[in-house]
Amino acid sequence: MVKKQVGMNQSQKLMVFVLTMSLYGLATLFTELIPKFQVGIVEFSVEFFLFIPLILAILFDPLSAALGAAFGELIFSEIMLGQFGGLGELEKFITVTIGVYVAGRLVRNPLNKMMVGIAAFVGTGIQLLMGTVVDILKVQFAIEDFEAVAGLPESVYFTEGFAFFNDLLFSGILFCLLPTLFLVPKLYGKIEPLMGMEPRTEKSALSNISWKTLLGCLVAFAIAIVSEMLAESGMELFSFEAAWAESKGAMAIAMVVAALIALIVLMFFRKTTEIKEEVR
Amino acid sequence: MEKFMNKLSESILDKFSMDFLRNQVLKNAYGNDDTMIAKMDPRILLVWYLYFALVPWFSDDVVFLIGCFLLVAVTTILAKVAGLVLCLFILGVFSQTGYLFLVTFLFGGDGSSVFPLLVLTVKVATVSLASITVFSGLDPDRLSNGLMWFGCPERLSFSIAYAYRILPMLMEEFQNVLLSFRLRGNPPKQTGVISKIKYLAYQIQVLIHSFYPLMLNTAKRSRTTVEALEIKGYRYAANNKIIKKMKLAQLKVQVDDLLFLVLSFLWVSIVVLISTLI
Amino acid sequence: MTQIKIENLSYSYPGSKDKVLKQIHLEIEKGEFIAIVGNNGCGKSTLCKVLNGLIPHFIPGNFEGSALIDGLDTKMVDVGILSKAVGYVYQDFENQIVRPTVLDDASYACLNYGMVDYLKKGREALSMCGLNDKEADYVFQLSGGQLHLLALAGAVALGPDILILDEPIAQLDPAHAMIIYEVLKKLNQEYNKTIIVIEHHTEYIAEYCSHVILMDAGKIKWKLPVKEAMVRVEELKRSNIYPPQVTQAAFRLKELGIYPWNKNLPITAREAVRSFCALLPEKERKKVFITKEEQNSTECIRFEQVEVTYRSVKGEAKTVFDKLNIKIHAGEHIALIGTNGAGKSTFMKLLTGLIKPKSGAVYIQGRATRKLKTEDLAREIAYVYQNPEEMFIKDSIRNDIAYAMQVRNVEQWERKTEELLEKFHLTSLAERDGRLLSGGQMRRASLAIGIALNPSILLLDEPTANLDIATRKEIMRTLTEMKEVTDTVLIATHDMQLVSEWADRIIVLSNGKVVADGSRESIFSDEMLLKKTGIQPPEIYQVAKQMNQSLECFNLEEFYDLFLEEVV
Repeated sequence: MVKKQVGMNQSQKLMVFVLTMSLYGLATLFTELIPKFQVGIVEFSVEFFLFIPLILAILFDPLSAALGAAFGELIFSEIMLGQFGGLGELEKFITVTIGVYVAGRLVRNPLNKMMVGIAAFVGTGIQLLMGTVVDILKVQFAIEDFEAVAGLPESVYFTEGFAFFNDLLFSGILFCLLPTLFLVPKLYGKIEPLMGMEPRTEKSALSNISWKTLLGCLVAFAIAIVSEMLAESGMELFSFEAAWAESKGAMAIAMVVAALIALIVLMFFRKTTEIKEEVR
Repeated sequence: MEKFMNKLSESILDKFSMDFLRNQVLKNAYGNDDTMIAKMDPRILLVWYLYFALVPWFSDDVVFLIGCFLLVAVTTILAKVAGLVLCLFILGVFSQTGYLFLVTFLFGGDGSSVFPLLVLTVKVATVSLASITVFSGLDPDRLSNGLMWFGCPERLSFSIAYAYRILPMLMEEFQNVLLSFRLRGNPPKQTGVISKIKYLAYQIQVLIHSFYPLMLNTAKRSRTTVEALEIKGYRYAANNKIIKKMKLAQLKVQVDDLLFLVLSFLWVSIVVLISTLI
Repeated sequence: MTQIKIENLSYSYPGSKDKVLKQIHLEIEKGEFIAIVGNNGCGKSTLCKVLNGLIPHFIPGNFEGSALIDGLDTKMVDVGILSKAVGYVYQDFENQIVRPTVLDDASYACLNYGMVDYLKKGREALSMCGLNDKEADYVFQLSGGQLHLLALAGAVALGPDILILDEPIAQLDPAHAMIIYEVLKKLNQEYNKTIIVIEHHTEYIAEYCSHVILMDAGKIKWKLPVKEAMVRVEELKRSNIYPPQVTQAAFRLKELGIYPWNKNLPITAREAVRSFCALLPEKERKKVFITKEEQNSTECIRFEQVEVTYRSVKGEAKTVFDKLNIKIHAGEHIALIGTNGAGKSTFMKLLTGLIKPKSGAVYIQGRATRKLKTEDLAREIAYVYQNPEEMFIKDSIRNDIAYAMQVRNVEQWERKTEELLEKFHLTSLAERDGRLLSGGQMRRASLAIGIALNPSILLLDEPTANLDIATRKEIMRTLTEMKEVTDTVLIATHDMQLVSEWADRIIVLSNGKVVADGSRESIFSDEMLLKKTGIQPPEIYQVAKQMNQSLECFNLEEFYDLFLEEVV
């Protein structure tokens, strides 16, 4: 696989990565600030700017662009704005990576409008579908007695399903398909020389998507689901209630005492180091 | 609806000042580098974060949850987080659970759904504030070093540092490109509902169009950056364990870090104690 | 000792058949301070990238011949080793700074190559470049000149014996440019480093460099000591390089038979004053006072008690303008000068409505900008950025020029677009994307875009920065032509030749205040002011002034006239 990619050397891949990361990151920084249609945990995740990594994945190395997009979103909109949701962010990370990567691999000749359109739509669709599946599972795990709360399951299925189709039609067409179709031909042949590369052609494109790639995507998706579950709920393993069940009070007192002892010891250390520093 | 559209169309290009955003992000990253949180060892803080990001999900004990919430609220204040970030936090928490109330009522739910949702709100808020404390309170560089120590890929830590470096430049460029559109474009007049929507559509169109020049200009930049990185031995170092060790050698756990950890632990234990006594 | 030895080197970029470098032979001795000059696109940058190994290690392509650095073949050695021998500072240097803090960036390369004392090396480099008091600062707090020094420090930290700088002073005001060159001089003389600059400011070459290499169409024409190189006036001019003004003047006077035929031409102002003084005819010089007609034209811009502050990342907001008052009349041609960071860009952005004053008001044609949208101002004001790339928002020059007229349904916009293309000599390039053009073409295109709507006020931010002298002359010609078209023009610039040849009113900004406002005569002759603001009048003006306090020459023609009257 790697050896086939003659056209792209490591530093060129790094270039694509840096480019996608900065641009998509900047864009998501803004979307983070635009008021969202949000119904509970169900998010109408309009990806206003997914066209950016899609275009770059179609024009350049798909994997670098996909990873760049995922990193960019993580850093600019999550970490910079303090919106980091812990392990749960892995889900977005992986779905964006897969969606963009698949779209990039589908296109062999960026001048073929038909193919570019299909790729943009499929890429967005994959990303949204995976997001929806994870979301539904997430709500089920997050709220205890999910089934017991009257009206909740129906509302979740309804809003999730609605959100998916809304997103696919709304953001899929308006914000992914059309901009991609509009910008790819404009950028093709112009952006490559600026980066010292040759435009992608039938010959230099990567081979078709193999079963291995598909399998890889599925495994990654499984990781995404698991991580989301871990982040949101589950893991009865660590269930605190079980540990305290026998003698909660004693346990708690022990914790307080241990903490106090540690505190006193540390205060002592602190004093002595301060004195040492003063002596110096 | 009109009101909402109005607000939306104003917020995207008009009222929304890029300078303000840039300032807030930078302030969040660097403006608070003299706080107690910023000086802490990133590894300790990450461990601390892990606890408050995970544990609240497992517990349904209201006293315990509120205790945790109070603690992370205090640390958030200590970290001197920028206003924008707090604003986003409040909006985020409200929209995540506030709407859920409405929807469950809409589908025939009753009072029984309110309590679990309230608990959920506290959980979400605690986890978010813990993450704000760590990710906004820490200097990006220390954060990325901390992440690297825990085995996160080198590329992540490079990207974090680089993102903060390039953000001001990118924003200025974006601002200038948008200004080009504003100086030369001719947006539809804003009167009535339909033209408001038209105006919004125009703005979105401008945003998308502005990425054409932005992509090309950034491509030029990336080339220089990557060439410079090659010269500076970035890829050489990325896979070299000795150099990684050197980078991480700056990290030192100090007494204050342990103190912070122990104080947090003490607080949590007291809360647990109270909850058992009730 | 020969440090760099290039033999029979030819190179073409991947996917292109044209050779950018053609059979280059070159030897460079240790400790030389070399300027490479030549037309845009003659292969200067490519040659430099061969020296630091980027070519052929990261940019493949067709590479023939060999380049030896300290006897090592660049093709064979690792880039890691080469980068310890050759440091490189890009023209767009801000993109090569990748870390958020100053010391961090300076020591980054040393850390990556596993040097244990990387922080010490970083600090040493910073102090060599005069940034020792900035090591804890964040990169975004630095000024343009300091950023450049930091990029240099990042290269110096690895301890290379050779430093290459691509157009180091293109965006700097003269005071900052001098700082950069003084640092380079120190590195060259005290630390014995070989310095190679790509430069077209010949005044600086004459002052600081020891040798000059002239390149033309991928070939090296010659390498000569600076004194011999700069006096080859005709040959340089053929390659679009303009020697220092004093050299040009002496050359012309030699042609006229005034300057002794057997005497060497001066290349710096110091030499020039001595040789010209002796030639100056003794005669009564009546001072010509050009009294301007009383301006009774209408006022078009007014700043009233304008106060502007910036949010700063830490602490108090920074005040840019405090109670600024100024009036500008229709038809004036104004140059706005001052050091980097004096508030020139803020001044212009206030006029576009992008920045609104915190208190006070800016009136344009009698209307306050506070109440107007940027879109509404566009009819009155056009703003041409310092960086033309940010003005190219469409995919071809033609579309870019047409855009503003098209969306406003200006009558016959197609015809008007063609006319503008014609006027700015862009017809043959109309379908190209602006970014892929050369510096001068870009600048012309951005001017055409700016005046498409026929604005009554035109704002130009550094229209001649980053251009070689020949292209600069062309832009200056275009600006003069435009004097008839547009009414009021305001130029923010460091280029004093442009100021003295074009402007009829000069506004000097310093720390957010108007410290002077008047004609070029009054500004350039105010020595206190020049000292305070770091403004340096054109070389020829300074020379004439030093020869005789009463002399004032704003361009070469006026200088020749001092001597000519005698002959006639």
